[in-house]
Amino acid sequence: MKNIKIFLSVALAVISTVAFAQPEISPERKQAIDSLALEKVKDLGKYISIIGNKETPFSEANRVIERALELFAPGSQMGVSSLNRKEIKYYGIREYLQRLMALNYDRVNIEWFNVQYISDLVRQPDGRYVGVITIYQRFVGESDDGLKYVDTTKKDITVYVERKQTQIHGRLIGFWDVLLGDIRVTETKPG
Amino acid sequence: MKTAGAVIVLQLLFFSAFAQDIGKHLGDENFMYAETKQINQFFRRFNSEEDLEGKRIYENDPHYHNKEYRAKYIRMLFDNENPDISNQVKEEFIRDVTDDAHPEFLDYYGGRWFAEVDAKFNYKGESRTVVLFLELEKEDLGIKWVINNVYFYPFSKMFFADSSAMHKFLHPMSHEIDFMNLIKVFREPNTVEYYFNEDFRPDFKTLFLYEVKQGDLVFETIQNVTFHFFQIKDWYFQLKEFNRPGYNTGWLISNISKIPEDQKGMLLKYIYYEN
Repeated sequence: MKNIKIFLSVALAVISTVAFAQPEISPERKQAIDSLALEKVKDLGKYISIIGNKETPFSEANRVIERALELFAPGSQMGVSSLNRKEIKYYGIREYLQRLMALNYDRVNIEWFNVQYISDLVRQPDGRYVGVITIYQRFVGESDDGLKYVDTTKKDITVYVERKQTQIHGRLIGFWDVLLGDIRVTETKPG
Repeated sequence: MKTAGAVIVLQLLFFSAFAQDIGKHLGDENFMYAETKQINQFFRRFNSEEDLEGKRIYENDPHYHNKEYRAKYIRMLFDNENPDISNQVKEEFIRDVTDDAHPEFLDYYGGRWFAEVDAKFNYKGESRTVVLFLELEKEDLGIKWVINNVYFYPFSKMFFADSSAMHKFLHPMSHEIDFMNLIKVFREPNTVEYYFNEDFRPDFKTLFLYEVKQGDLVFETIQNVTFHFFQIKDWYFQLKEFNRPGYNTGWLISNISKIPEDQKGMLLKYIYYEN
């Protein structure tokens, strides 16, 4: 037997809690957050270059992998597709970096194109903001025997932005914390 | 095309002067400037809410919602390789959305746009495509994507497939025999739905969830994503991502139709495979 009274009270409660607060980040604050997020992306790029470089000692590469992982929210993944295979192949970030370290190229060079696109920040139900930064990179892997692999990829990188507080000399200081999330990697065809 | 080219040249000039240094840079970036890189950028270009560099502009900027800029941008937002989208349709659409008296803008939070995602699932040992429809839903402090519809071909073949059974029914005096004749209904599982009420429509969302929870449908990957827009009065259009050489790339209008508001419901049903 369904209780109509309970149904109505629950339905009314649901209706009254869906009031929606529009995201409120001032243009100035947004610019500051964008710069912070780009810094993190730039850091990731540096770490990837070090990890992929064969001259980097094994222990150092592992240390850099740990540093790189600190940039990410837990559970983040890379979703990779190529021109030949449109379907997304999934890797955990650690797995992706370890695969990069294990590549058999004598030289790995990751170069940035001078284009980046930063989306608006949108508020999630938990109050954090989320955005996506798009960058383009060229990967060049070379072996001493002359083998060379080159690809150009578009990377759409999720960024989570959260207002946090920390205590310095007894004073509470607010700051914006940025964490990277899932990364969609698409091989692109240059024009 | 001339205007699109002009915008690209402007972008290049602008960017070469103010480029932000974020690492080792390469050349041949023209196509990347032109590419509509995100859905977010599609919205901003459509509305003229970003500058040529791709940076957000706000209400006090003279280019914000600027009619001429919008017309130039929107011309760049069509799949130019689709012969079904004529110049006449493009110009009519641009005229409508940039109308002086009633300009129309896309609103991320405005509803009436949704995603269609072709996802690959393993269904009882075989790789099959499930079509998931997602829309934005407000919750607490923010907004999120939710699955609001599902289409799966094997489900559709499961119901009302045997039209010869259309006139089957439980006779009106079945109650007097304790519905003992139900045995005949369930003897033929393929036609049981014909004994349901007239309004019955199988709920694919629930079936889908049941199969997922039973472990018979296991997610594999994403194959394809399309967006459907019903926000613009008397127009419908579709967005797809084009990954190809040249400047006409990224998220572009792949299909567009002028359609009266009162007929959009029918189109929606068609997209949802409900016809």
